[in-house]
Amino acid sequence: MSDRSAALRLPRLAAHELVLLVILIVALAVLAALSDRFFTLDNLLNQGMLMTEVGLMAMPMTFVIVTGGIDLSVGSALGMCAILLGYSWHNWGFPLPLAIGFALLAGAAGGFVNGWFITRLNVPPLIMTIATLALYRGLAEGISQAHSVRGYPDWFYGLGQGALFGVPSQLWLFFAAILVFGVILGFTTFGRALRAIGFNETGARFSGVPVDRIKLIIYTASGTMAGLAAWIFVSRVSTTRSDMGTGMELDVIAAVVLGGTSIFGGVGTVFGTVLGLLLIQLLKDGLALTGVKGDATIMVIGTVLIASILVTSFAERRRDAARASNPRSPRATTTEGRETP
Amino acid sequence: MPPTEPPIAEQAPRAGDRMSAAAQQPVLALEGVTKSFPGVQALRGVSFDILPGEVHALLGENGAGKSTLIKIMSGVHHADGGTMRLDGQPIRLGSPLAARAAGIATIYQELLLFPELTVAENVFMGHAPRRRWGALDWPAIRERTRTLFAALDINDLDPAQVVGALSVGNRQRVEILRALSQDARILVMDEPTAALTEHDVARLFAIVRRLRARGVSIVYITHRLEEVFALADRVTVLRDGEHVATRPVAETDRADLIHMMVGRRIESLFPKTAVKIGPPVLELRGLSRPPLTRDVSLTVHAGEIVGLAGLVGSGRSELAQAIFGATPATGGSILVNGQAVRVRSVAEARRLGIAYVPEDRATQGLIRPMTVRENTSLAVLSDLARLGFIDRAAEARLAQETVAQFGVRTAGIEQVVGRLSGGNQQKIVLGKWLAAKPKILILDEPTRGIDVGAKAEIHRLMSELAGRGLAVLMISSELPEVLGMSDRVLVMRDGALAGAFPRAEAAQERVAAAMMGGA
Amino acid sequence: MSGAALTQPAPRLRLSVSQEWLLAGAIVVLFVVVGLINPRFVASRNLQTILLGNAYVAVAAIGMSMVIVSGNIDISVGSLIGVLATVSGSLAVAGVPSVLAWLLPIALGVVVMAAQGAVVAYLGLPSIVVTLGMLSILKGGLISVTNGVWISNLPDDYHLAQWSLFGVVPVPVLFMLVLTVAAAWWMRNTATGRGIYAVGGNAEAARLCGIGRQRTVLMVFAIHGMFVGLAAVLFATQLSVIQSTVPPNLELTIITASVVGGVSILGGTGTVIGSTLAAVLIAAIGSSLIFVNLSPFWLRAVQGVLILITVLADIYRRRRRRGAR
Repeated sequence: MSDRSAALRLPRLAAHELVLLVILIVALAVLAALSDRFFTLDNLLNQGMLMTEVGLMAMPMTFVIVTGGIDLSVGSALGMCAILLGYSWHNWGFPLPLAIGFALLAGAAGGFVNGWFITRLNVPPLIMTIATLALYRGLAEGISQAHSVRGYPDWFYGLGQGALFGVPSQLWLFFAAILVFGVILGFTTFGRALRAIGFNETGARFSGVPVDRIKLIIYTASGTMAGLAAWIFVSRVSTTRSDMGTGMELDVIAAVVLGGTSIFGGVGTVFGTVLGLLLIQLLKDGLALTGVKGDATIMVIGTVLIASILVTSFAERRRDAARASNPRSPRATTTEGRETP
Repeated sequence: MPPTEPPIAEQAPRAGDRMSAAAQQPVLALEGVTKSFPGVQALRGVSFDILPGEVHALLGENGAGKSTLIKIMSGVHHADGGTMRLDGQPIRLGSPLAARAAGIATIYQELLLFPELTVAENVFMGHAPRRRWGALDWPAIRERTRTLFAALDINDLDPAQVVGALSVGNRQRVEILRALSQDARILVMDEPTAALTEHDVARLFAIVRRLRARGVSIVYITHRLEEVFALADRVTVLRDGEHVATRPVAETDRADLIHMMVGRRIESLFPKTAVKIGPPVLELRGLSRPPLTRDVSLTVHAGEIVGLAGLVGSGRSELAQAIFGATPATGGSILVNGQAVRVRSVAEARRLGIAYVPEDRATQGLIRPMTVRENTSLAVLSDLARLGFIDRAAEARLAQETVAQFGVRTAGIEQVVGRLSGGNQQKIVLGKWLAAKPKILILDEPTRGIDVGAKAEIHRLMSELAGRGLAVLMISSELPEVLGMSDRVLVMRDGALAGAFPRAEAAQERVAAAMMGGA
Repeated sequence: MSGAALTQPAPRLRLSVSQEWLLAGAIVVLFVVVGLINPRFVASRNLQTILLGNAYVAVAAIGMSMVIVSGNIDISVGSLIGVLATVSGSLAVAGVPSVLAWLLPIALGVVVMAAQGAVVAYLGLPSIVVTLGMLSILKGGLISVTNGVWISNLPDDYHLAQWSLFGVVPVPVLFMLVLTVAAAWWMRNTATGRGIYAVGGNAEAARLCGIGRQRTVLMVFAIHGMFVGLAAVLFATQLSVIQSTVPPNLELTIITASVVGGVSILGGTGTVIGSTLAAVLIAAIGSSLIFVNLSPFWLRAVQGVLILITVLADIYRRRRRRGAR
């Protein structure tokens, strides 16, 4: 029995990503056939540019969700950082490079606050980040009084609107982030620890994994990435507004969950998240190009999200059912997953 | 007995009736019940019956099959074979709910209550008295709760108190009240005194006696022999899933019971080899973390296996976790190789060469959804990594070695650990910590829930490790294991050391007496 | 140890009862203080505006509280209110009798939420993911169907706020009060209502009491759908023009009302009286900012701090309770 299940196990781990990959390829083919403007380098690069902010935040979000947590505050943190960037420069007289650094630092601080409350006071991540979702947006609105800041010097737009070797500048950052986060989750002790925490926090603790420190780091990383995304966002759209990033946390989480990361923790890959991001962005773009209205695409994404987790859940159920009928499996004979006596 | 006996007690059999118990028809009777789990035959043709208004104690070591037996009685597990009769009629309990409906209530060690709700609500959840339009009759609920209080002579609880704010003993009484409110005729209590203070134990005894007087039959599972003599009318002993004997308590004694519980060929199971004892490796001086670790001083030498005996709840695991840094000590000092050290986290303990194989494999010992490879390397990941990158080849090698060295029966190192049998899982936990090359190995119930064959293997390993110069501190609730494996036996009671015996002097009865105190 | 249980009154009980009183006290203090600074704040017209404009939030928060007590969450609530408001308005404009324009959205709300509840309960998917997906579907669906066109020329008898009880209590506020009291009574005094607390508090123990988790969760979502439908109608009928949008982060405001009202995100505790009081408090704070010359743009920050304070107070309470043991 065990030989067969071990053989089945490896492909299963990648099953969700495989399904996504197939969907992605089919979608690409269909969209390319429907619109000749879709499968052009210009369009694809442009789409990459548009997804960078969500994509950057999806990287640490993958880590957070792999540990069984969640960070709903990233959209608001982006707004707060964008406002602090613009305001510290325009109203408080910071030199622009310092203002950028200040915004990044504010993002890190925002994430650290989340992590500190979650690890030290055991506030559930959901409720903690709902509170800071309101708080950070409120700070953005309160500080700016809903005024926008524009008129940045030209060099500032280099990141959001410029290009390096023919590829939009921020995409390089995004590629680097994918590489770094992917390597960390896939190949390092830190990534292994993240999965261990997500599966069984107590077990990880008893194995010497510094659970609290790791959580603090990933929530701080989440805030920092929101700061970086804010910088890119402001640079791309040439203006700073307090409502920037509203609702973006949901786009980020949708991409991560669509990418196969389990909200229960333990399971997830950066590759899956990238596939999720690509699928969402290309569906949006492709449908728009073929004449579907922009908002209908959100609907399609919601449907794809629910459908994909339903399919995965059915697959798991069938596997569990197969396991339950197997007399030698430990899980099948215990109630509530307890050890057999 | 207080003079104001509730009327229902009039029908209850008196002490005199109990003497002629054999003549009565059992309320519940199990015959030839068998049950097996993967790799373990938990029950082999066990027969057990409960008479009306008796306290029937169920004794046995860990793994003897007590838990399985009561889970069958309470509808959690279904027997593979044998019959169960309620009032002489064959019944089949499909679920815990069905058992409750049949009048069999079980009080587990892990209490099943609603912490945010009041005492009265917890008692009547699911079967509360109602008024018109389905409205709950709160006055009636409170009144009936008070009636139940009166019936059990409870006068220090308030029906409106929130259960989460109560002590363990009080919460347990709420569960008993709930069982009573459902007119339970059979109450199964799984080690009810394990987590209680002495005062709470006394109150529990009073309640059990009152229940008996009301005609309720009680199956009482315990490790503490004095409780059997204080409370029970009859006692049944299980061993290795088999029924050893059922006797009236009056016709047995302590030595008799201990003999029945542990009477087996100890030598074959416990391959303890004589090892040269080296210098002290671990020394504790007045280590404290109240309430369950109080001023503990002990020494473990290289090559020595020190057995730590004690009842469940005596603070053994807490002591181990204080040494291990999982819950750092608040007072006293720890010396490793004669050097005073501070252990504030598991990572620090690991660096100092302290390893802990925890009691609860499922939540503390393993990450069950992860593979054999990932579990064996978890405690030593940083050693297997360069600049944070895991050396997969080295990791696989470690896993292969562990599997080979411990004879883990697995399809391969990519097998998910949760699918291995208990014994093989335990070997993985052991292997994981031995990979950290510890000098001090703390084993907490190393053979719990493991079948006999795997047990012997684990014991052989322990002997071998001590032979290699490890200092081993072994916590166990199984006296034969403690006596068979240890060079020295320490006994804990109520968070403090209560006795120390060299191997030669560690007789079963003496250690047991120290564990239970007072005797 | 057991003596402590006798002499020490359960601290948790007193505090949890007082969560509602605390909020009521906060509202009173707010009105007194702001009223002293600027008497126009306590003028009946402003009070009416606060209550009328936010009655729908409180009504939605009733359903949300039930969902959270059962151990789940719903983040699709804001977009569903938007959809149902548009449905209601479209029906009214199309000449459907107002009664039907009020009732059909409520029925639709029940259907949509029950569907989500079924997926959560019977397929075991986490409610946060299911409702997140539904949020996208509803939001995208609404705008793409309506094209963002505004609905105006609503019939005269469509607006609920034109009627009031004894000329003092407008119908939407009446709805808020009656529904809060009714829901509180139901959750407090019926076996089904208590079952929600049981499932949220300890699903395993609830099962042993004969209260099934799946059935309860499905029921809670369906009831929540009814409240969301009502909230959508209250929202739509106070507008002269229905746009296919709702206030940004509406779901957040509703969840905030529940949490600040004393509903624990871990499930098993909290009351709808608390959530309604919290909804009123949040609305009153928002309104008061203008009257004390503070920018209303600070409102959301105040909301965030309010949640944090509530959560910290809850943690403090739990620690004390553990200490009392």
